Amino acid sequence: MKKIITAIGIIITFFIIYFLQSNFFTWFTINGVMPNLFVIFVLWIGLFIGKKVGLVCGIIFGIYIDFLIGKSIGMSGVMLGLIGLLAEYVDKNFSKDSRLTIMLMIAVSTIIYEIGMYAFQVIRWSINIEILTFLKILLIESLFNVILSIILYPIIHKLGSLVERQFKTKTILTRYY
Amino acid sequence: MYKNKKTGIIGIIITIIILILVVILSNTDIQKVSYLENVLSSIVMPIQNGLTYLKNKIAGNDSFFKELESLKSENESLKQKNSELEQSLRELEIIKSENQTLKEYVNLKDKYPEYQSIPAYIINRDINNFTKTIIINVGEKDGIKPKMTVIADQGLVGYVISVTANTAKVQTIIDPSTSVSSIISTSREGIIVSGTLESNNLLKATYIPTDATILEKDNIETSGLGGIYPKGIHIGIIKQVVNTQNSIDRYAYVETAVDFSKLETVLVITNQVEE
Repeated sequence: MKKIITAIGIIITFFIIYFLQSNFFTWFTINGVMPNLFVIFVLWIGLFIGKKVGLVCGIIFGIYIDFLIGKSIGMSGVMLGLIGLLAEYVDKNFSKDSRLTIMLMIAVSTIIYEIGMYAFQVIRWSINIEILTFLKILLIESLFNVILSIILYPIIHKLGSLVERQFKTKTILTRYY
Repeated sequence: MYKNKKTGIIGIIITIIILILVVILSNTDIQKVSYLENVLSSIVMPIQNGLTYLKNKIAGNDSFFKELESLKSENESLKQKNSELEQSLRELEIIKSENQTLKEYVNLKDKYPEYQSIPAYIINRDINNFTKTIIINVGEKDGIKPKMTVIADQGLVGYVISVTANTAKVQTIIDPSTSVSSIISTSREGIIVSGTLESNNLLKATYIPTDATILEKDNIETSGLGGIYPKGIHIGIIKQVVNTQNSIDRYAYVETAVDFSKLETVLVITNQVEE
């Protein structure tokens, strides 16, 4: 029963994030650059629930986003799925209890996601590579996500620990940090 | 990470305040923060005034200050008149905004009488920093099909890439993956304009013929080639021509006629697909 409630909660959170991203964050920007809350959300799922759920949620949410606003279907799904998958591997080596490691994970995930998305665009649509502008946007977006992760850390950690107890029977003991 | 709960909350509040400040400052036009200028100048200007007064006294050219009182009263009456005018201006603004949408439709119909069109509102914008698509509130039920051209009062917006029953997805001309075959309206030379990541109102014009004369403020319009956009739709004006060592590589920046950040209503041309 608790798992069903968590699943419904995840779906509702996805829609809340979608509406925040398409309304609030279209004007609440840093120099015109929006954050990417979906990366934070999928990373959270992968970290606290597990890589399989992270992968599945990432793919489903990504494809849904592509259907809603994307120019082609699938790439967001692939990249978000990858973030969900990566999360558990990261979890094995780093502690989720540290705010700093969560911030770093979010920054790295944002960079991986956006590089993947941009590379796909370059290949698929043969667009001109504007490397400096891309790096500028990538830097601001990662920074924005990191700032949001500082603000959201208590929620991320508290809710994360709550769902982790429901889904993960074995807790991973971090090796290094 | 934080040693106790209180410090953690203070940290979060400080981060929120910093984030809000960064967002406000990074998106504010420097001219709009004149109040800040007022505060800063209020520290310096009284002293500066005093020094200037003294300087004028010493130099003997202080006749200006004798008229200070009359100038002050005149200033007061002008301020009164100004506030009255501002009030009437606000009233006019309300009337203006009420008529704006209808006016845009009429203008568009007048500008492009040869095209049948359907008006639409933008209901969603892209949530990604690297693509610039929009969603409009008309779809298959209204007769919208993929590849239909979308325009606004000022010029070209983009084209429909997919439709659902009630909505349509539009790829704008400022999207980096969009390229439009265009012509310079004065010289009639063909060029290609593409969207850039850099800005929401700049396009990059490439493939400029080596012998073509291209000047700033030249109008750019669609050429009709490529099978998507009809001929003669205004795109924008040349903002800057960038000459390179090799004249084949020279390019120009085109300022879009449409202000995409304020765009709310569009028209979908419905009769050009069958042509």
